[in-house]
Amino acid sequence: MIIRWVSEDGKRKWIYPIKRDIYTKGKIVKQVSKKANVIGITKVNIPSPMHPIIPYYVLLLEDEHGNRIPKKVMREYKIGGNYEIKPATTDDAVIITKIKYDVYEYLKESMELLHSYSISPEDKILIKPSIIEPTYPYRAVTTNPELLNALITYLKEKEVKDIVVAEQAMLGNDTMASAKKAGVLDVCKKHEIPFIDLAKSEYLEKTYDNFNFRIAREILERKIINMPVMKTNSQIIISGAMENMLRVVDEDTQKGMFEKDINKTLPKLIKTLPEFLTIGDATIGLQGNGPTLLGEPAFLNMLFLSKDPVALDAVFAESGILTIPQYVKIASLLDVGNCDTKKIEIVGDELEAIKCSLKPAEKNATAHTKIKLIDGNANPYTYNTALKMTAKLVGLLGDEVNLVIGSLITKEMLQKKNRLVAYGKDAIEQLKKLRVKAIAEIPENMDDTEKVMLLKSILQSPNKKEITVADKLKSKVASFGMKIKKKF
Amino acid sequence: MSYIKGVGMSKFDVSQKASYERVYECVNEALDSGNVSLDDIDAIFISTSEAESNGERQKHAGPMVSSMFQKKIPILSVPAGCCGGGAALWDAINFQKVNNARNVLAIGFEKLVANISEKVTDEMLRGGERIYEQAEGMIFPAQNALVAQQYMMKYNVTSDDLALVALKNHENAFDNPKARFYKKKVTLDMIKKSPIVASPLRLFDCSIPCNGAAAVIISRDKTDIEIAGSSLSTSKLSSFEREDLTSWSSTIHAAKNAYNQSGTTAKDIDIAEIHDAFTSVELISYDDLGFCSKGEGAKLIREGKVNINGYLPTNTSGGLKAKGHPISATGISQIYELVLQLRNQAGKRQVDNIKYALAHNIGGAGCVTTVHILRKAQ
Repeated sequence: MIIRWVSEDGKRKWIYPIKRDIYTKGKIVKQVSKKANVIGITKVNIPSPMHPIIPYYVLLLEDEHGNRIPKKVMREYKIGGNYEIKPATTDDAVIITKIKYDVYEYLKESMELLHSYSISPEDKILIKPSIIEPTYPYRAVTTNPELLNALITYLKEKEVKDIVVAEQAMLGNDTMASAKKAGVLDVCKKHEIPFIDLAKSEYLEKTYDNFNFRIAREILERKIINMPVMKTNSQIIISGAMENMLRVVDEDTQKGMFEKDINKTLPKLIKTLPEFLTIGDATIGLQGNGPTLLGEPAFLNMLFLSKDPVALDAVFAESGILTIPQYVKIASLLDVGNCDTKKIEIVGDELEAIKCSLKPAEKNATAHTKIKLIDGNANPYTYNTALKMTAKLVGLLGDEVNLVIGSLITKEMLQKKNRLVAYGKDAIEQLKKLRVKAIAEIPENMDDTEKVMLLKSILQSPNKKEITVADKLKSKVASFGMKIKKKF
Repeated sequence: MSYIKGVGMSKFDVSQKASYERVYECVNEALDSGNVSLDDIDAIFISTSEAESNGERQKHAGPMVSSMFQKKIPILSVPAGCCGGGAALWDAINFQKVNNARNVLAIGFEKLVANISEKVTDEMLRGGERIYEQAEGMIFPAQNALVAQQYMMKYNVTSDDLALVALKNHENAFDNPKARFYKKKVTLDMIKKSPIVASPLRLFDCSIPCNGAAAVIISRDKTDIEIAGSSLSTSKLSSFEREDLTSWSSTIHAAKNAYNQSGTTAKDIDIAEIHDAFTSVELISYDDLGFCSKGEGAKLIREGKVNINGYLPTNTSGGLKAKGHPISATGISQIYELVLQLRNQAGKRQVDNIKYALAHNIGGAGCVTTVHILRKAQ
């Protein structure tokens, strides 16, 4: 697609989506072409960080208005040939679109490339963004409100009247505060669309393969458009189409899914849910130690769309030169979707042409360089609060501490690991089962200040073998002091 | 009227001297050659791309120069990509004229080659338009390859013509002690057999990145070299947006203004330093600067008219191609060469009977261009 913003008199053209002609103050007309001729080709043999795979080709395309754009491809074209993006022909196709300034126009084009997907005015749409914690949109932890705005605008143009946006934050965070900071509530307000906190939903029970999922009623009664931020994830390699649907179930279900191994239960949840469309938000995208604020913006400027969440996640992982996660592979085995990227129909930009190494998430990363996680599939609440605890200690010197979380801890995971601290009920019980002694056991329900003070005392005392009465007293006093301080 | 007093230039190479060392060295040479004291400098215009990949982590070049020279005078940084040197000079001249300043110093410096080539390529890629060009793999060789291809198809220019440009500039650099390719023999065979970087451009069609610095002192005091014309023109950031892909309007406009200011035409020019970031750019620039009719640039090189013994010697320094291209230093290093030529100090590269000399400096793929015309004072 080639877009230009043209002055009314046709004398000036911009590649930027400007609103008014700055010379005449006149209106701007959007010129959109979907077909172009190839007028130039170069084969590039030099790799660069954004374009590591060589050789690649850059085509110079020109439309019927004489507007031109460069286009990176891996296939050979001939000068004089045509370039046109054909719509998908299969249900598991993944649409890959690089956004050129105009998020709305490229979202619209991507939607229209989907195979047998339609929106009708009678549809009751639920948009499920990703809003896991209170952060600003530029951090790319939450769905970009500009993309959400573009989707709602598109749906309204299709005369859809019943649209809601629904999400619940990561366990341990407040949904409404997160949605506000993410800019999502502002978009909802602008379009007069309700925002639903799924944590407060009525839940309906669905069972698959002996696992009970308590699913928010709205999810089962509406047409879902899933809108995850495409991210790297320290626990499960990536967060995307599948992981974003984790937060449509209640707290206990989420915890149970991790206890029973999220890699196995997440595919079952997706199998249980009605079919949904995913618009993967890689307008910025997150890399490094996601999915939380420990990650960093990746500036991908792309969209991934698919009716098949498994295919979408597999394609995203491969585009970032990351390992395809186990849950994606298991989902494919359960026939939830297709994870074989060689067999998935790719529409729009070529997968090989967008491949660029994303920084993978480290399995044991925390905010503090000396505190490492040993994660036995901890549930989101334990994981989230463990990270928050370590964030409070950033800047303090100390000796390495291994914070053990989750119920699926094995002896192998603990080999050659010293200075263990068991955090959360699951880890405490599991270490007891394994007969491994930890320096301290910190339950999730302990006061936040106490938790931090205990961890701090271990971090700063290299020879500490166990928590003493004095440590406990000190942490309680600190906690009491904090409460008094807050009160006044 | 503005005149040139002194010029200085570090060797263009890949040595890992700190930027301050190179700046210090070339400014010192400029002060000595112009017989000027640092106390007599009224303002400084400095250009550097403030690269992140070189490990110096030094932005804010103006105050850095203030620290080096212990000056409280106006010091302004003028980044303009590969046209940084030309833009700093253009600013210095305008400042000198408007304020009737006695002496104004213009400096360009770069420490570019200090990391793996992928990082350096990425650093340079950032000069391209981010959404259409960077995201679509339009590294600078690719941008220029697509333009070169259009020019070659339209005017029946061949890769052999491009090779002749490379050969000429390497032969000139062979005798330039400050050039990256000084005393390095390059043959036509080597050029033609060099690997394709971005088709149709080969390795030897591309200028050579390096580190370097150059300085020039502009003055109101009459000297032997007058700045007869100084012009800067801009165009759209991305080359694919322009009406004519085979002609760069910023060069045409900048040249037209500089000719008008100096009361000259292209025919009056005796020697030129042209922005040969790629050999194809030199050919296109022959057309755009008016040295030949449109599309006839290749004739000039085929017939040897732009060789050092031709009627219009171009890039006697070796050009960006073989002297080297340390981005922001390039524009001022062109002035350095022309001043040596006008003062009969160019050694084996000396061209006789020069009155008018032209320097042409481009930033990006033709998006900002300066043209300066120097005249040997009577």
